[in-house]
Amino acid sequence: MSPSEQHPPAFERIATGVPGLDPILGGGLVASGVYIVVGEPGAGKTIFANQLCYSQAQQGTRCLYVTLLAESHSRMLANLRSMAFFDASQLPQRIYYVSGFRMLEEQGLPGLLELLRREMRNHGAGILVLDGLVQAQEAAGSSRDFKKFIHELQVSAGLSRFTALLLTSSVGPTVHPEYTMVDGILELRERTAAMRSWRELQVRKFRGSASLNGSHHFRISEAGLEVFPRLESMASRAQPPDWGTQRVRFGVPTLDAMIPEGIAAASTTLVMGPPGCGKTLLGASHLAEGLRLGEPGLMVSFYEGPDRLLHKAANVGLSLGTGVKDGRLVLQWNMPAECNLDLVAHNMLEDVRKRGVKRLFVDGLSAMVETTHEPARISPFFAALTQELRRHGVTTVFTLETPRLFGPDMDVPLGTGLSGVAENLLFMRHLELNGRLRRLLSIFKLRDADYDPTLREFLITSQGIEIQPPFQPSPELLLTGIARFPGNHS
Amino acid sequence: MVPATETVLVVDDEQGILEALADLLREEGYRVLTASHGREALERMAEVKPDLVLTDWMMPVLDGPALIERILQDPSLRDIPVLGMSAVDVNGLKRLHPAMEFLQKPFDIRALMKLVRRSLDANPRARGG
Repeated sequence: MSPSEQHPPAFERIATGVPGLDPILGGGLVASGVYIVVGEPGAGKTIFANQLCYSQAQQGTRCLYVTLLAESHSRMLANLRSMAFFDASQLPQRIYYVSGFRMLEEQGLPGLLELLRREMRNHGAGILVLDGLVQAQEAAGSSRDFKKFIHELQVSAGLSRFTALLLTSSVGPTVHPEYTMVDGILELRERTAAMRSWRELQVRKFRGSASLNGSHHFRISEAGLEVFPRLESMASRAQPPDWGTQRVRFGVPTLDAMIPEGIAAASTTLVMGPPGCGKTLLGASHLAEGLRLGEPGLMVSFYEGPDRLLHKAANVGLSLGTGVKDGRLVLQWNMPAECNLDLVAHNMLEDVRKRGVKRLFVDGLSAMVETTHEPARISPFFAALTQELRRHGVTTVFTLETPRLFGPDMDVPLGTGLSGVAENLLFMRHLELNGRLRRLLSIFKLRDADYDPTLREFLITSQGIEIQPPFQPSPELLLTGIARFPGNHS
Repeated sequence: MVPATETVLVVDDEQGILEALADLLREEGYRVLTASHGREALERMAEVKPDLVLTDWMMPVLDGPALIERILQDPSLRDIPVLGMSAVDVNGLKRLHPAMEFLQKPFDIRALMKLVRRSLDANPRARGG
């Protein structure tokens, strides 16, 4: 290459300061780009734009925030004051708020454009926010005038090297044909189903690199906006590392005896069964065994609170409390009613990465299944989640509640989607025999290991879990849940 | 009772606030001039010399500090008291301009009227007017 040849410049990226958003955008906004943020009033556009400004100001970039008939600046600042990103010391040197409404009223779009150009130059700003693009659109004489305004703004952004965010409430179609000329369109929306509502972000268009498709959940709290990229769109397509011959045991001697080699490390075990059959204690044993071996553990639960779980485990001789106290075991508890798949996965995987978790127990996959507003997502989500856990070498036990307490049918919620992804399947059920309620356990499937497939009685005693020798009553009747000993025809 | 000749120039780029302040001051009996930025304020002052300037801080074209600088540079305007108002933390602005009075937005109307009165009373030219 001769010295006169030049490489085209790589796109410089502007970090948005919104956790989770930059990975969706392929690294952030492209510098000198013009972006439209569209959403109903209350969708979070203003908080988003301000969060970007305060984050950029922290890095020394000056920002100009121009409003057009939006809430007053003092009101906006009063609302922002409670946000963690708000920093009064950036005002007015690095973040500057002005109104362009009067100019728009008196001189139309050309006047507004002149104001934007002049103020950006005067303040030496690298970020422009125009809050209320819909006012500019309404003030435009024609759709052509509006397109011309956006085009001229794009030219200015390129020449003066600033990145612009144009905020607009959606009027009519979410994405106007006039918007298609910008470098990117981000849509923020609130969705409601029955009594629940949630917020979603979707990248409708993004020039410069691939972005993660589909909708991504976000929330607004005092931390500002936080986006939780849809796990399926994020999960690595790469094959997980080979964890070789490493093996993991449940820590229940009589159960481990049924799997002489132990289960494969970094595998996923799905324990299915009706309420009260002992699934939670099996998962707790998995964690207790990890603690005994010095492996960091994580428990994610949905129904029972942490204290109750610890108490329940202690009742059968499983001491998890010490691990919690010294930080080797973390309990993440989620309210099932407000459960959000991506948020749960985000918190789970963050702790896995942070603490090098080796053993994970998710008590209540059923809660995730039942409370999500998109049941069709469960299987691909579960596949992506287990793929990530495998990559991190985490051996995971999930419990999945089956709805039927007794009876000949065995219901697997959501068909084979979930059970197909898990390498190991354990099935538990109740059995009523001679007036006594018994618990049964059987291993349905185990990857890369020999196992004892016989049906076993599962006892819960104050000393822990104990698996009994193979059950004697007629096996064909056992599966119905209503068993009789041979010769007993009553 | 406010002397009829007392004139207040209100400068703010936020149209809604500008109009509301103008109405309130007129109701109190002041003569009110308005401008939506510093340059417009200087144009108004070239026509009519107000007794008090009430100015916002962050504005397009010519902002609050630049307007004050122009007023101080002009011998015919430099005796006009100027009251600053801003949504920005005014304690920081006070440190930069210790001789000035500031109002923190959003403010209470009574606090505004009191400060307007006090600034006018402190100015002998306006008192004499």
